[in-house]
Amino acid sequence: MSDEEHHFESSDAGASKTYPQQAGNIRKGGYIVIKGRPCKVVEVSTSKTGKHGHAKCHFVAIDIFTSKKLEDIVPSSHNCDVPHVNRVDYQLIDISEDGFVSLLTDNGSTKDDLKLPTDEALLTQLKSGFEEGKDIVVSVMSAMGEEQMSALKEVAPK
Amino acid sequence: MFNGIAGGGAEDLPRLQSTMRAIELACSYIQINTNPAAAEATILSFHQSPQPYKACRFILENSQVASARFQAAAAIKEAAIREWSFLSTEDKGGLISFCLGYVIQHANSSDAYVFSKVSSVAAQLMKRGWLEFTPAEKEVFFYQINQAILGSRGLDVQFIGIHFLESLVSEFSPSTSSAMSLPREFHENCRKSLEQNYLKTFYSWALDAALSVTNKIVESNSDVPEVKVCNAALRLMHQILNWEFRYSKGGTKGSINVFSDGMRSDTASSRKTECVIVQPGASWCDVLLSSSHVGWLINLYSSLRQKFAFEGYWLDCPVAVSARKLIVQLCSLAGEVFPSSEYSVILDLFNNLDNAQMREQHLLLLLSGVLPWIDPPDVISKEIEEGRSGSEMIDGCRALLSIATVTIPVVFDRLLRSIRPFGTLTLLSLLMGEVVKVLLANSNDKETWSYEARDILLDTWTTLLASMDGSGGNAWLPPEGMHAAASLFSLIAESELKLASASATTDEDDADCLASVSAMDERLGSYALIARAAVDATVPFLTKLFSDRVARLHQGRGTVDPTDTLEEVYSLLLIIGHVLADEGEGETALVPDALQTHFVDVVEAGNHPVVLLSSSIVKFTEQCLDANMRSSIFSPRLMEAVIWFLARWSFTYLMLVEDCNLGSNQLQSLPSRACLFTFFNEHNQGKFVLDIIVRISLTSLMSYPGEKDLQELTCHQLLHALVRRRNICFHLLSLDSWRNLANAFANDKSLFLLNGVSQRSLAQTLVLSAYGMRSSDASNQYVKDLMAHMTSSLVDLANNSDLKNLAQQPDIIMLVCCVLERLRGAASATEPRTQRAIYEMGLSVMNPVLRLLEVYKHESAVIYLLLKFVVDWVDGQISYLEAHETAGVVNFCMSLLQIYSSHNIGKISLSLSSTLLNEAKTEKYKDLRALLQLLSHLCSKDMVDFSSDSIETQSTNISQVVFFGLHIITPLITLELLKYPKLCFDYFSLISHMLEVYPETLAQLNSDAFKHVLTTVDFGLHQQDVDIVTMCLRALKALASYHYKETKAGNTGLGSHASGQTDPNGVFHEGILSRFLRTLLQFLLFEDYSTDLVSTAADALFPLILCEPNLYQGLGNELIEKQGNPNFKTRLANALQVLTTSNQLSSSLDRLNYQRFRKNLNNFLIEVRGFLKTK
Repeated sequence: MSDEEHHFESSDAGASKTYPQQAGNIRKGGYIVIKGRPCKVVEVSTSKTGKHGHAKCHFVAIDIFTSKKLEDIVPSSHNCDVPHVNRVDYQLIDISEDGFVSLLTDNGSTKDDLKLPTDEALLTQLKSGFEEGKDIVVSVMSAMGEEQMSALKEVAPK
Repeated sequence: MFNGIAGGGAEDLPRLQSTMRAIELACSYIQINTNPAAAEATILSFHQSPQPYKACRFILENSQVASARFQAAAAIKEAAIREWSFLSTEDKGGLISFCLGYVIQHANSSDAYVFSKVSSVAAQLMKRGWLEFTPAEKEVFFYQINQAILGSRGLDVQFIGIHFLESLVSEFSPSTSSAMSLPREFHENCRKSLEQNYLKTFYSWALDAALSVTNKIVESNSDVPEVKVCNAALRLMHQILNWEFRYSKGGTKGSINVFSDGMRSDTASSRKTECVIVQPGASWCDVLLSSSHVGWLINLYSSLRQKFAFEGYWLDCPVAVSARKLIVQLCSLAGEVFPSSEYSVILDLFNNLDNAQMREQHLLLLLSGVLPWIDPPDVISKEIEEGRSGSEMIDGCRALLSIATVTIPVVFDRLLRSIRPFGTLTLLSLLMGEVVKVLLANSNDKETWSYEARDILLDTWTTLLASMDGSGGNAWLPPEGMHAAASLFSLIAESELKLASASATTDEDDADCLASVSAMDERLGSYALIARAAVDATVPFLTKLFSDRVARLHQGRGTVDPTDTLEEVYSLLLIIGHVLADEGEGETALVPDALQTHFVDVVEAGNHPVVLLSSSIVKFTEQCLDANMRSSIFSPRLMEAVIWFLARWSFTYLMLVEDCNLGSNQLQSLPSRACLFTFFNEHNQGKFVLDIIVRISLTSLMSYPGEKDLQELTCHQLLHALVRRRNICFHLLSLDSWRNLANAFANDKSLFLLNGVSQRSLAQTLVLSAYGMRSSDASNQYVKDLMAHMTSSLVDLANNSDLKNLAQQPDIIMLVCCVLERLRGAASATEPRTQRAIYEMGLSVMNPVLRLLEVYKHESAVIYLLLKFVVDWVDGQISYLEAHETAGVVNFCMSLLQIYSSHNIGKISLSLSSTLLNEAKTEKYKDLRALLQLLSHLCSKDMVDFSSDSIETQSTNISQVVFFGLHIITPLITLELLKYPKLCFDYFSLISHMLEVYPETLAQLNSDAFKHVLTTVDFGLHQQDVDIVTMCLRALKALASYHYKETKAGNTGLGSHASGQTDPNGVFHEGILSRFLRTLLQFLLFEDYSTDLVSTAADALFPLILCEPNLYQGLGNELIEKQGNPNFKTRLANALQVLTTSNQLSSSLDRLNYQRFRKNLNNFLIEVRGFLKTK
């Protein structure tokens, strides 16, 4: 039925940090690169350049790492860069005194280069939970060469 | 603190004085904003103190501080309404006459707001006691009022008397009455009594008062105090006529023949301007018509008009405004106030005529009074432009609207002929033409009189013409009227085009633009009615305008900037679309009657003006298929108009099935009509035009990348409307262009670029078109072929070994979203004929869906699409599934719920951005709402089931499944999330449904789940939303009545949930029903709620009391003990006794008993809530 099949190929790790995508197709909740920063779109509106001109998209987005608000206007038929946002879950194995955490990776080694969140309430919750011996899974989000802890979750021991 | 017993001795003067000082101080503190909280608390506690009447009277009579007197009046009202049921009859009467006496005595002092307050308090108290006072008691009050209004005690008292009646009438009118926490029935009875016995009397009192001062006003040349009385009287008359008369209409309303007497009784058209028809009934004839009432009013106003030059009078002075209002209102007088033939048995034609003449006389008199306000239009509009107030002119327009509301066009037109050489329609046309001209001249200024006048006049036309349009098409305007309509329409069309070309280059603000689109739609609808009133002239006129503009576009191609002309064509397409076809709103829109019945001399289709106009537009739109034309002429905005027009037009004209688009039968034989109907049918041009439309659609989807609005319009309006018509589906499937569309959908990358909503709608449309296949098998095969590519791509992806990494690539995410939207669209198009194919489609992606749910757990946008697809698929399929299929689907849904829940429970987002955190919360809410919908759809299997299995087949127990599902997701539904109204509503409707239908399953839940469900019910009971509380009360009723019935039959019912249990620490936990009995009683007695809830609450309380009689007894005794006042103690004890015994209430849960208990509870609450709530 088709002559243009979609193929799913695994790209080389880190080969492409961003992908082009038509601006009209980027929706609220999706990702976009604005001023070189990976962002999550929180608002899209469309307008026209003059009454009989072409549509353009107005994006309001939030930097996924710094939480800064950024805005951009792009003709909706043009392409935008969309960041490749990756998320990996790790098991939390230790919290060190200097605010770094130890995470257990899939292949059994550890990853020790991530800092704890700065939010006080969260920090105490995390620490106390950890000290009580709860299993905690940490999600780490990475995009365009940066990474940060994005979520955590207690899992009931199986 | 404020205890002053009514009628007590005068010994406590010092205390009264100190109370007065406290209140005065608090009032002045509030005014200067010093410690307002404490001051408010003082005043509040004064309002709530028991029997503060004496102190109030003291303050009213002695205080120098106006706001303290105001507060005292408010306190009287509040306390008396609260304590009414145990005030003595003398006290009640005493309070009212005190208030009345107070306003009359102090009539000439200042501080008007205090008097308004006191007189409205008197009105409210009078209403509160209305049904218990004897006629003689009321007579005493009204004698006093009448004396005041007669004017023997001076103008101020006269004014006060009229003012009091105004408060009274507004208190009795349901829309303006104040709450008294009494059942609606009370208000209804008061209203009925006032309407039948007093309203007309009040009107004549007001009239007499106005008459008594008229001469003074007419003779004087300056502002005299009589004007104030006159104004108040006019206002009261206006207010009384505004009353929604109900009880004076006889049973003859249905028999009024609209056409024979030239008056009509109803208008259901939607309009911007409010125009209430005044129908006071036959008894008002003598006041309103027989006396020279109208003549007096017209004369009064015209003499006021001559005084506008003098001091104290001007065009908008209050008395002039009131007089105009009353005149306008009398224009809409209708109904039995005009005496109809009493002896309708004889059906005396002459008598009937007499009646119609009387109405016309009445309207003519009014019209001649109004005429100087609006005629000659050009002179008046010039005066207004030079600085005169436009309000009189606008009132004149309103009067025309009122007259149009109660007459048919012929009579409307005839009215003016007796005094002018032309008819009213011509005047209306001239007037509106003038307004349109003025509007065009100052189009940039939005707040002008001409806007308002235009809207009112447009409503007048709509009112006149809309009635004609639906009445079989044989009631045309008189020739002169038609001419007036035609010239007005050409003026309107020209001015719209001028406006369009002027606005073409302005870059309007988007929000502003959106708001005006619906307003414009309404306006164009009215213009279309005017055009249809004179189609012989207007259709050819539109054809000419259109071909002019198209020619201009072609001439200037490449050399001149076409923007102005493009905007004109855009407007023209919208106007023509409205003239040629009606908005279907989901129904088949018929060819408008006017277009069917006119053009009688046309015998050949090619000459039919409507065919000519339609063809020229179709020919024009076809040019967008050419790439060059597209780039030079067909801008995205113009394409939007093209698509909109084609959608609207094709729904009315394309491939009509004779029987269903047929108007009235007698028209069938007209040859011109046959031309119009057959030209675009399947044997003639129909298929050709359909092909063009499909090709245009494909072009707009493929060649306008990123134009979201255009694509949505194409998918939703045009294509969707086409496949909704079955006969068109057959032709669509045979068209190459449709095959191209389907092919592009399955394979072409550019269609993957459409936005999500359009993807979904396109998939739905294509699946629906499968209906056009000859057999069910062929339909299923069509759907399978169409969707095979989507499902296989999803399966491939899920089976990819590197899914985890691959899935997070943006292009894959986009592809997955796109495919899911399409699957969802297809799922929502499930019909019996294609159900199999869609079932299999869903079945084949079940495992991929679960896989994707896993890998996309952090990608909320994808998760939501996954859930919504499943929700829609289950919704479409569940009722068709056989037992084993149901089991499979149910298992799938349960795994879905479990996976979702395991990912989300206890998850904490670490984002620093509050916006993103809020977004995350909203996403969570949307997911949960989808999951609740999924459970509700599963529930429906028990209600609607088309499967072939017999009932005996061992099938899935749906109720258990749904409770299990609830068990999985309720921990995710936090009380925080229930603050989202929609989620809250969905959740509680599911809960109350489950409890009502399957209480036995609830009983089997484990205690944690059970507790959670009931905690949320408790939470729901304390919501503000009446619907939510109602649902919770229904759930409680179901629970309690189930338990009661079960235990009565010797079963365990809710078992330990109801009896309460002792936990391991030895603490006894009260049973669930006892807890709710307490909560509900607390709620009913002490909290504020809408009276609408009382019946539902009664239904829940009754079984609860039956389940827990001992606790109820205990709670009752506790309440009684708490009362300090021995009088209240006995009253409460009696009331509690009566609640459970009166009306022969017995202990069985049947309909009759529920009804009795509702009545008992209502009485009980009226009796005791007043003093229980007193602090």
